[in-house]
Amino acid sequence: METVIEVKDLVKEYIIVKKESGLRGSIKSLLFPKKTKFNGVNGISFSIAPGEIVGYIGPNGAGKSTTIKMLTGILHPTAGSIKVCGISPQTDRKAVVRKLGVVFGQRTQLYWDLRLGESFELLRRIYQIDKTAYDENLAVLTDVLKLQDFIDTPVRQLSLGQRMRGDIAAAMLHSPSVLFLDEPTIGLDADAKHAIRNFIKEINRSRGVTVILTTHDLDDVEQLCSRIIVVNNGKIVEDGPIGSIIHKLTPHRMLVVELHEPCNDLTTPHATVIKQEGLKIWYQFEKESITASELIAALSQKLPIQDISVMEPNVEDAIREVYKTTATV
Amino acid sequence: MVSTIKHYVSVASCWARLAIQRQLEYPLFLFSWLLMIPIQYFSGIWMLKIIVDRFQALNGWDFPQLTFLYGLGLISHGIFVVFFINTWSIDHMVINGGFDRLLLRPMNVFFQLVASYVNFIGLIDCIPGVIIFLYGAEIAGFDWSLANIGKLILVLIGGILIRAALFTSLGTIAFWTKRNGSMVGFALTMLERATMYPLSMYPYFLQALFTFIIPIGFISFYPAAEFLNADSGGLDLPLSFALWTPLVGIICFLIAGGIFKFGMKNYESAGS
Repeated sequence: METVIEVKDLVKEYIIVKKESGLRGSIKSLLFPKKTKFNGVNGISFSIAPGEIVGYIGPNGAGKSTTIKMLTGILHPTAGSIKVCGISPQTDRKAVVRKLGVVFGQRTQLYWDLRLGESFELLRRIYQIDKTAYDENLAVLTDVLKLQDFIDTPVRQLSLGQRMRGDIAAAMLHSPSVLFLDEPTIGLDADAKHAIRNFIKEINRSRGVTVILTTHDLDDVEQLCSRIIVVNNGKIVEDGPIGSIIHKLTPHRMLVVELHEPCNDLTTPHATVIKQEGLKIWYQFEKESITASELIAALSQKLPIQDISVMEPNVEDAIREVYKTTATV
Repeated sequence: MVSTIKHYVSVASCWARLAIQRQLEYPLFLFSWLLMIPIQYFSGIWMLKIIVDRFQALNGWDFPQLTFLYGLGLISHGIFVVFFINTWSIDHMVINGGFDRLLLRPMNVFFQLVASYVNFIGLIDCIPGVIIFLYGAEIAGFDWSLANIGKLILVLIGGILIRAALFTSLGTIAFWTKRNGSMVGFALTMLERATMYPLSMYPYFLQALFTFIIPIGFISFYPAAEFLNADSGGLDLPLSFALWTPLVGIICFLIAGGIFKFGMKNYESAGS
């Protein structure tokens, strides 16, 4: 299989000096530091095919950023191997980064005091982009990201949404084949999020750009990613298509029933009551063993039902479930 | 090779233009520097005059020679501050992850560090430098021969490289210590004392230190001693001091580049 990114047994070790409280503790840790080794990334392997949009998700401190930084050549791994477009970012950084576009949602690479276009001109020279190719590319980016309204505005006067669009355009100027987005929608309003998601879909469709996305916004993941990799405590805990992960993690569904009048016997052999509030009852059932309509049929024979609704499990629940079950690994 | 140089020159000139534009965004800030810097250095040379007039020459260096040395040290400081001021902020960049972006671009990291900010405000430091130097050259009887002018240019280039090497090496310590802001201030003071006043007035230990270990004596003191036939504190080298300065400069700069490269390997970025 053809791959863009190939990661094998990746480990990044940090040395942490344990501090004790108080002045006595400070002096003690100065003289006899208690150093402990800690693997921020602990044996990760995966490969990504060209044209995939992969959501790389996990709780804070799970090792997401560290992995991205090793993939892009910023950090050196303690062990393991990385190949991006067949090249190791550690031995040939300059060759690899030409093929990469990287956006850090919380930091900008644009010059604060200057109009947006000036930062683009600098990047044109840094990446040695041919003038006609640059003009064409910029025209396309301007069109899709709607930069024309603010390309001559100083970056410090841009709204967060505009700045993010500027940053994404800056990362795409040299037509990279892989785009890393580290929390690209953080702090943005619904409109700006929508624009950025559309852009990601568009470049993936029209140029076949591979996208690796870290985010805490699971709507991003649901709308964009065909595949997610979930990490926790430096290890991959799930890797696969989003639908099957949800299915696997949340085999339960919920049926909410509202009654006319109180009823004593609520039990049914097909589902369990997990919550009751006045006349409202929550039933949990396995979707493998009974369908919703069968359950409703069974319940309606014994209960005076007024209203009924089925709750679908969503990504958020699934992910929270993963974080919870892998937290103490 | 040629295309690489072209690439780097094109990027550096774009950065220089952007840096001017960025600095022009804050004209009042510029103006305050224009006011303060000359006051600082002209009062410095005035103090020197009072000391020499009231007491005696400093280890055989009379006022005209002192003025020449002071001016030469100041010019090389001024040019250094224009081109290499970013070597002062290596520790900031280590702490806040500022090297991330530089590492993501297909260019040499040290080049990007230095070229990304050309500090034109530093030219203000050169104004009192040039005035004091020209005055010193006049009263000390400096011979403006072609050979001497050539040597002077070599000395300035070498001196700037020595300074750049010193601040780069100090900044690189931050890759391990994470914080070394006060080192910059300390080094600046040390440089001022060793390049704007005659080294020969210090104890032998310091002279040796500033000649062989941290060779900042070559920035201005030894060349000035040669230009004016003044007391060099007993150091004698083959050829001329003015030719040793660029040589020492290049060696120091290469060593500092190696240290920086080694330090980068230890870079840990910052969580985001």
